[in-house]
Amino acid sequence: MEAIKKTGFTVDVNSCGKEEPKSKPCPRPKPGEAAGGCSFDGAQITLLPIADAAHLVHGPIACAGNSWETRGSLSNGPQLSSLGFTTDLGEHDIIFGGEKKLLEAIRYIADRFSPPAIFVYSTCVSALTGEDIDAVCKQASAELGLAVVPVNSPGFVGSKNLGNRLAGEALFQYVIGTEEPPLVTDCDVNLIGEYNIAGEAWDIEKLLNQTGMRLHARITGNGRFKEIAGAHRAKANMIVCSRALIGLAVKMEKKYGIPYFEGSFYGAKETSFSLRQLAYLINNREVERRVDHLVEREEMRLMRELAPYRKVLKGKKAVLYTGGVKSWSVISALQELGVKVVGVGTNKSTDSDIARISERLGEEAIYIPEGGSSRVLKAVRERKADIVIAGGRNMYMALKEQIPFLDINQERHTAYAGYEGMIRLAKQLVYAMENPVWQMVCTPAPWDRGDGYDNS
Amino acid sequence: MTIHRMKKPLSCNPLKISQPLGGILAMQGIFRSMPILHGAQGCTSFAKTLLTRHFREPIAVQTTALQEMDVIFDADLNLEKALETVLTKHRPDVIGVLSTALTEASGTDYGAKVKKFKREHNLKNHLIVTSSLPDFRGSLESGYSAMVESIIDGLLEQSNRKTYKLLKNQINLLPGSFLTAGDVMEIKEMIGAFGFDVITLPDLSTSLAGHLMTGFSPMTRGGIPIDSARQMMRSGYTIAIGASMERPARRLHNAAGIPYRVFSGVSGLASSDEFFYFLQNLSRETVPLRYRWQRESLLDCMLDAQFNYAGISAVVALEPDHLLSVASWLEEMGVELRGLVASYETTLLEELNRDVWVGDLDDAEQLAQGADLWISNSHGKRGAKRCGAAFMAMGFPIVDELGAYTSVTVGYRGTMEQINKAGNLLIQREENAHEGSVCHR
Repeated sequence: MEAIKKTGFTVDVNSCGKEEPKSKPCPRPKPGEAAGGCSFDGAQITLLPIADAAHLVHGPIACAGNSWETRGSLSNGPQLSSLGFTTDLGEHDIIFGGEKKLLEAIRYIADRFSPPAIFVYSTCVSALTGEDIDAVCKQASAELGLAVVPVNSPGFVGSKNLGNRLAGEALFQYVIGTEEPPLVTDCDVNLIGEYNIAGEAWDIEKLLNQTGMRLHARITGNGRFKEIAGAHRAKANMIVCSRALIGLAVKMEKKYGIPYFEGSFYGAKETSFSLRQLAYLINNREVERRVDHLVEREEMRLMRELAPYRKVLKGKKAVLYTGGVKSWSVISALQELGVKVVGVGTNKSTDSDIARISERLGEEAIYIPEGGSSRVLKAVRERKADIVIAGGRNMYMALKEQIPFLDINQERHTAYAGYEGMIRLAKQLVYAMENPVWQMVCTPAPWDRGDGYDNS
Repeated sequence: MTIHRMKKPLSCNPLKISQPLGGILAMQGIFRSMPILHGAQGCTSFAKTLLTRHFREPIAVQTTALQEMDVIFDADLNLEKALETVLTKHRPDVIGVLSTALTEASGTDYGAKVKKFKREHNLKNHLIVTSSLPDFRGSLESGYSAMVESIIDGLLEQSNRKTYKLLKNQINLLPGSFLTAGDVMEIKEMIGAFGFDVITLPDLSTSLAGHLMTGFSPMTRGGIPIDSARQMMRSGYTIAIGASMERPARRLHNAAGIPYRVFSGVSGLASSDEFFYFLQNLSRETVPLRYRWQRESLLDCMLDAQFNYAGISAVVALEPDHLLSVASWLEEMGVELRGLVASYETTLLEELNRDVWVGDLDDAEQLAQGADLWISNSHGKRGAKRCGAAFMAMGFPIVDELGAYTSVTVGYRGTMEQINKAGNLLIQREENAHEGSVCHR
């Protein structure tokens, strides 16, 4: 239990009384060297995993047309959210207004797919021309008798992170607390900010079930609308990795008295800590006992199974560039494997994220504030790193420079959460670094080697 | 007039890709260039991610990162800052400023701003062009051709519209947006085989086909260098592939007097025959032996494959030019075309004497009930599965297939590969359908 004391439950207790978490306003992006998505993107990241809802984008084609079906959030049930809906505003709609079209589109979706809810996203253009999507949603909701949720997060209001927060706002305002869940137990917990990338949530759910806890509402990975609507009856909230949705947790604590904490499932230490913390918050001795048991068993198993990989990975150096959210949580996972993190991107991290990173890394790592690819490359060269761990967008930067690479963002196909995920992470790291292609691509063509042709 | 539209107030499973993405794609085919998207950060980030996933290459693009207050006060201030940053940090040879729905709807005069910027910074040797590419009009194809047109305009302006003596031996190639990097290379080789020097604008074959020669650069890592693009004014002839490339070709014709010819595609036997016959007439050289062999192989392949294609029906959902190019070889194989779905309306489609739908992949799904083969971009995969049709990925984006961007679909060899590929998918589908039933062997 020492970990709990050290890693900041006391800090969270202090923060509970406050209205909003303290965070600096996001710095404005610099024209000509900005990278990363917009608020609309962020809102979609948070809400699209709600699998049984329809997601309708009110804007020109780019917003939905260039982004649908690109995320790795999985659902094991309904697949409605995998359809791309957009009002596809044309010139005519922009000049004469698209509200009527929007209303008709909502009716069409309700009629053909009868979803439990429709999320309607505003975009830059519909915000610019002053479309009142709140009013349209209200009208449609009354008319059709289903939840029509306006998400006011047009791209130009700010960063992806802000979009996450605005989506959380929409969930709190329009969804959570609107329905009573059919089943409530004393061991119900919510996961907030877990998007079930490559099926991570399933690994986590398995762990929770083994300890006697029940996953009450999945916000939002593999989520269902009704489940989230009843999220207010859970006994504890866990914010997974990202601080973006902490506002939601704070508000839920204030309104419904659900205690929350921030944790992560990357790495054995963090996973054990998170499980213990959840057991502590729901205040159930039996669960606590079972968590202790599970942790002991799984950590023993990991120790045994990771040994061959640790041997390869020991002393290897990595540069981590994930855009803030996952930085601190992935660092501990890597450290457990013996990988030294020698550079870390902090371009989208909040102050507290950075504090956590430095808590884990100390002085030995370079902090890469912003500037994108070329700065990452510089860090790799300066520190002689063996691998770059980043999002898919930076993958080909690393490959063109012939640096091994591991994808850690939403498009990846491997789940890294929990104890099982830890083994997968170790495997993938070893595969990435030990692959024979690295040697092959470094070998020049015979005609470029410069040694004369040997006729014998 | 044969264009149909399904009656519905929204687009479900969009087929359309935004115009600025097409513009960015065109810019990738010019060496040391940098497109700047004048819009919100997301406009750029979505396009970049999608292009990166399709081509599995780093994509050069920057953004003016507009936020609410910038749009209200002065969006072009951001453009100026972006231009300054890009020029000082990367010094690209070519900069393309691409507008988006956001900047077009808010009505900023970015063109004047760019002109002023060029004057004030004395940038005579840099090519900085603007292109109007609102998302609420057109699609990838139109954005791509509009960008090419803007680049040609910029080149013409810099050449002071001097008239040169045209070089008979030099040919301009304007490949359409639907051609893969492998296709562009193949067409270059075909024209080159008749003894011509080929100048290709944009040249995706040397930038997005993949290479490790230069390491990583934030600018484009290959494509046509600006100096050779300037030589285009002296070429003896322009070959445009795809009806959407007629406008850029006509620009060259009007300004520099270069005759041109537009080919709707180079896929299928008839189209390939037409292309090679044209090259033979233009060059007065005979068709090289290897292409004669390829033609023989194609004929043989068509005979072999006819059994698998007998009675097959297909749905094709692609950008307009691509749609026609694919339809031509499918028809040669006797495939019944259940539905041709285009992303947006073009004059070419209007003039066509056949039924074409303009719509989305959901429309394609309606038309595909009972069809055997489904051809579209990766987004159509689930729809094809629901219909039980064999799925063949073409167009943009193709995200879950290796090497889609280097596959060859043009000429005799390309046609043969396509026929075999689709035929194999049909065989596979048939085998899957028979799985579990009694097998007499």
